[in-house]
Amino acid sequence: MRQEPLPPALAIALPVLGAASILFSWQFLLPWLGVPAYIVPTPTAIFGVFQKSLALFMSNLWPTLIEALAGFVIGNLAGVLLAVVFVHSRVLQAAYFPIVLFFNTIPILALSPIIILIFGLGMTPKIVIAAVICFFPTLVNMIRGLDSASDSEHELFRVLSATRSEVFWSLRLPRALPMLFSSLRIASATAVIGAIVGEWIGSDKGLGALIIQASFNYQSDRLYAAIVLSSSLSIALFAIVVLVERRVIKY
Amino acid sequence: MANAIEASRLDVGYGGRQTAVKVLSGLDLTVAAGSFLSILGPSGCGKSTLLRVVADLLDPLGGTISVLGDTPHAVRSRRDVGFVFQDSTLLPWRTVRDNVRLPLGVGQGSLTRTIEDRSDELLELMGLAGFGERLPHQLSGGQRQRVAIARALLGQPKLLLMDEPFGALDEITRDRLNDELLALWRRTGTTILFVTHSIAEAAYLGERVIVLAANPGRLIKDLDMRPFKQDGNRCSREDAAVAAAMAELRGALGQAS
Repeated sequence: MRQEPLPPALAIALPVLGAASILFSWQFLLPWLGVPAYIVPTPTAIFGVFQKSLALFMSNLWPTLIEALAGFVIGNLAGVLLAVVFVHSRVLQAAYFPIVLFFNTIPILALSPIIILIFGLGMTPKIVIAAVICFFPTLVNMIRGLDSASDSEHELFRVLSATRSEVFWSLRLPRALPMLFSSLRIASATAVIGAIVGEWIGSDKGLGALIIQASFNYQSDRLYAAIVLSSSLSIALFAIVVLVERRVIKY
Repeated sequence: MANAIEASRLDVGYGGRQTAVKVLSGLDLTVAAGSFLSILGPSGCGKSTLLRVVADLLDPLGGTISVLGDTPHAVRSRRDVGFVFQDSTLLPWRTVRDNVRLPLGVGQGSLTRTIEDRSDELLELMGLAGFGERLPHQLSGGQRQRVAIARALLGQPKLLLMDEPFGALDEITRDRLNDELLALWRRTGTTILFVTHSIAEAAYLGERVIVLAANPGRLIKDLDMRPFKQDGNRCSREDAAVAAAMAELRGALGQAS
């Protein structure tokens, strides 16, 4: 039997309580069990290092934010544009989609050194890596979305003698938006991953570089703080996508 | 112009001219302008295909067809034909009014006449006044189909093609929409081709009912309903004469499938 939905107050209170219980046991249970601070620092220690080195974290947050955002925009835009080309030309799709598919099977970690070789050590390779990660899910979702109008919807437009561009703007594109947004949600997290992976391999700036330096120097509190910051960045991007989605898709 | 549709030796199929699977074979059909024709038949008999040829959505393989004295293509370009599908095909991101207005927004480039925005009038006609700002998912199935009819009527078509438009509705809603459609037909004088698989619906609506058989689709029964009805294509669903006509149609359908 399906369970009754929770009352709204509980639906908000329970996740907060859940998180609080985890933080509470992290703070008090782990030290009591004898887990050393250099493996798992307590939440208050992590928060403390945040306060202490706020300037350091902010100066490393900026590059990652810019790389992730730029990669997000470029990768998704490229995915959308290529999807538009593919759905309008079956020939091009048949010729090049398998190659894109093959390209996508290369692990991003294996691809990153090549991208850094090509683009050097600045921000550009990180943006490219973030863009590459975002590109493929958006391409696939967008192709499916643009093709998702039903036969009778296409017939309706044909009866009205609609042009190809009218079919695109008034039927295919709005039909594709829900699927585009579901891949943008995924991309909001992966763009940050891409930027951090890029910084990991070759950079002295950014949250990725901070994570690597902190782990080499056994600065666990700083390492954990950098992780919290990266995930907050992903969550912020995700929230922006969801907000835009709610404004655009009302049905 | 006496006839809305004149088709002779019409062959329609899918696939190439040589390898085609024939859906309609050697169909001869004449439909008088202003009449209400019901098209009845089992699945795969080509009744929807026939509508698609008339609407210029599909080219025949052989034979000739003229619609309103012209080619199907010319008629489509003039927007003289309206099409109502089984699923309402309302665009879910547009409000009801904007769905009705869709014909104003697309295909204007090839249009040879101007179409007025009669959306308010049509929404009122279809009993949807006050629903203009709703989104399709906020409507019932019957209301959505009313919106689809309003959209098809926006360009004041001379020919209305309806492909099982009420097939997915419950019986009470369906009966009500049948009556509304008849009232609409009497008022506008539009020629209507109405595809259905319901014998009762075909007999109640049509001035004339044709039955198609499958594999390949061909005409096996052509029944004039006017002798069974009162003036103006009026009858009651319980009428004995109409019941007799339905029995005749049921017999023909039995042979068809």
